[in-house]
Amino acid sequence: MNEFMEQFLLESRELIVQAIDDLMALEAKPGDKESLDGAFRAFHTLKGAAGIVEFAAMARTLHAAEDILALLRSSTGAVSPNVLNECLACLDLTSRWLDAMQANGGTPPTAEADADEMIARLAGSMDIDESEKAVAAIPPGGDWLNRLQNAAGDQFFGTLTAVRLVPDPEAFFHGKDPISAIASLPKLLIVDLAPTDPAISLEAMNTFSCNLEILALTRAPIGEIREALHGFGDRAEICQLIPSQMPALDADHLARATAILEAQIGLLREEELGGLLGRLASAGRASANTLRYIGKSALAAEIEAASAVALAQGKAGPLITAIETALQREATSTQSTNTPTAQIAASRALRVDMDRIDALVRLTGELLVVKNTIGHLARKLQNHEGPEAVSSALHDQHARFDRLTAELQRAVLRIRVLPLRTVFRRFPRLVREIAGDVGKTVRLIIEGEGTEADATIVDALFEPLLHVLRNAVDHGIETSAGRELAAKPAMGTVIVRGRQDAENILIEIEDDGAGIDVDRIRTVAAARGIASEEALSAMPDAEAVDLIFSAGFSTAATVTGLSGRGVGMDSVRAAVGRLGGTAGVRSRRGIGTTVSLVLPFSLMMTRVMTVEAAGQAFGLPLDSVLETTIVSRSAIAPIGSGRAFVLRERTIPLINLAEALGLTCDEADRQSAKIVVVSTSGQIGGLEVDRLGERLDVMLKPMEGLLGGMRSVSGTTLLGDGRVLVVLDLQELFA
Amino acid sequence: MNGSSKKRILIIDDAALIRTYYRSALEVRGFIVEEALNGLEGLEKVLLQSFDLAIVDVNMPQMDGITFLLELRSKQLPVSGVPVLVISTEAGIQDLAAARRAGANYYLVKPIKQEVLAEYAAVFCGAPQ
Repeated sequence: MNEFMEQFLLESRELIVQAIDDLMALEAKPGDKESLDGAFRAFHTLKGAAGIVEFAAMARTLHAAEDILALLRSSTGAVSPNVLNECLACLDLTSRWLDAMQANGGTPPTAEADADEMIARLAGSMDIDESEKAVAAIPPGGDWLNRLQNAAGDQFFGTLTAVRLVPDPEAFFHGKDPISAIASLPKLLIVDLAPTDPAISLEAMNTFSCNLEILALTRAPIGEIREALHGFGDRAEICQLIPSQMPALDADHLARATAILEAQIGLLREEELGGLLGRLASAGRASANTLRYIGKSALAAEIEAASAVALAQGKAGPLITAIETALQREATSTQSTNTPTAQIAASRALRVDMDRIDALVRLTGELLVVKNTIGHLARKLQNHEGPEAVSSALHDQHARFDRLTAELQRAVLRIRVLPLRTVFRRFPRLVREIAGDVGKTVRLIIEGEGTEADATIVDALFEPLLHVLRNAVDHGIETSAGRELAAKPAMGTVIVRGRQDAENILIEIEDDGAGIDVDRIRTVAAARGIASEEALSAMPDAEAVDLIFSAGFSTAATVTGLSGRGVGMDSVRAAVGRLGGTAGVRSRRGIGTTVSLVLPFSLMMTRVMTVEAAGQAFGLPLDSVLETTIVSRSAIAPIGSGRAFVLRERTIPLINLAEALGLTCDEADRQSAKIVVVSTSGQIGGLEVDRLGERLDVMLKPMEGLLGGMRSVSGTTLLGDGRVLVVLDLQELFA
Repeated sequence: MNGSSKKRILIIDDAALIRTYYRSALEVRGFIVEEALNGLEGLEKVLLQSFDLAIVDVNMPQMDGITFLLELRSKQLPVSGVPVLVISTEAGIQDLAAARRAGANYYLVKPIKQEVLAEYAAVFCGAPQ
């Protein structure tokens, strides 16, 4: 692990999302080259990232997936769903690894095993010729690759193909000659032979049985070797060796310098290719600098001279000769150094536009100016300067301060903003799965994914939206037979649309399915006792459809594993309500259903307790509520112009909420009074109400415009049923 | 290295993590680092400013590293002679050969350790030990 962990996690997650997007686009348009290229590149970059944090299991898993995508790129055929599924599974696995790394800071212990399994699945998804993929039939070779690499030393580099052949003991009887097959492999570098069972005694040995393990290394491409050893079927294990570095890397400076100088000669020998000038100049500079680096300034100067000559003549010859001379004359070496790498714990991160941070910086600057001015005014007061001048200046500063804090609040809220894309992008994949599970074909269209909202809201939207989408696919979209009957295209369409509507975020989930059967809604609602039959028949259709949001309502004829989880659309309305939003539905028989969610742009949660007075609901900030009590009316005594009651030997002033708000009250009818005991700025008071309600977490919107100056109201919020709840400012009420 | 002789290196890679990784390795060693997100942007930068070395990825959107090299070397300008170190995840002989044909001065395979990268950068810039 190293210091790039945090950025690695962040970037990898983005790449995974991008890869999923591209794979989904590829599914929609199987031959789309752009999506395939995009997916390939995302896998490729992910693999590179894994290399940087030295997460080998992730690198090799992604490498396997990348290989498959590379194959697809070079072939003309469409991508099979199987391959797509395994690639998605590979991203899922990577995602899980990232989660584990984020939680524990290290690579997950099961990663190697997970990787093996995933790579096998990926290999299986391509339906490659059986003989190429099966390796299980031969005795396990252990770390044969290492043995082979040790035998080879570091004298070979580049891409090599390694072979482990364990011929069938009966091979000789089948007319096979493993040794000559190996010996005739193209570009063979080394061969290593060993008995499969070294413990076997000379007496017990059967000379007609093939007891051999052959290891070989060649420079030929893997395909060529597979072809050559095809006859041995699954007795041959063939794999490509990809060196992690070029040869000279682990060697000392001198060897490295030699390798670089040789590479320059290689570059110059390609002189018949274009760009000679650039080649000459760059090779000259690289060679001279390399020599200078190992302390051979004189040789470097010679190279530069030769380079100038070569450039003037437009020929590589003089430079090649000079480099070759330098190679013969160089000497001495030094050691390279190692620096330990630090580990950094990963944290939850939010990417923020630079502009938004800049806005904060600017505001901070302005606030400092106000602070300084106030300090200056305070000194003036200390010096007993006229209060008139100071007070007017103070008033100005207050106005400025007020404006700046409001701006600051907006700027801070904007930092917490995320595009809906972060939640929407998970849906194509999920809708595809849901549709697959219920045997329907559904196309998901996403619109307005750039619409922004507070991160808390965006994060919390996933569950309710998924629920609505599930319903749309499972219950909304008809079966293909049903769609055919209705003369609709076989593929159903679900649209998820986000847009900003004044202060709110509007999200619509629209399907082109059968629509909601209002008569069935009425029947079910009556059966479930949600409303009386008379009320239901009098109810307009739009209102009846809205009953799907009632608790305990589910009209699906058959409960499927997807939607029938015992929770209905009421959970959606509740979840949206918790965010300070509302949920509604429109439906037309045979044409489709649209569920719309209206959510606030930003979130300022307040806990309130609802009470009723004069038939209206009001909210009281729960922070101020001490307790609720019921007091007999006879225990309430008038004191001066007001009234009071005694609670645990303490006299508490009492006001009637309806009366205080100027509403008509009918308290005399009742024997006892329901009282909320509240505390405001250290004072305790009683508030008589008609009814005590529930506790809610609401998103409080401050009063604005003409209502902004209204005292005794701290803000409003929407209730789950769409009514406006006025939340009272108790301090103002008791003042 | 003192201020006046600081060497300038251009990193061309589409992966932000890789760029940061390279940059931190190089800046510790006193190099001045510029970044480009793909071959096209790299080409623009290399034509406008002078660099002592360009470190180039192969697989990039818009313009890959090989095309970048071919374009750069064919410009017939002094800047065409900037040494180029290609660092790619592709490790095949054919990949190396393609880079060399396009005009790469050297080829390394990812992943590469920071100290190794810094070392190579120092070699190509002729920074004395």
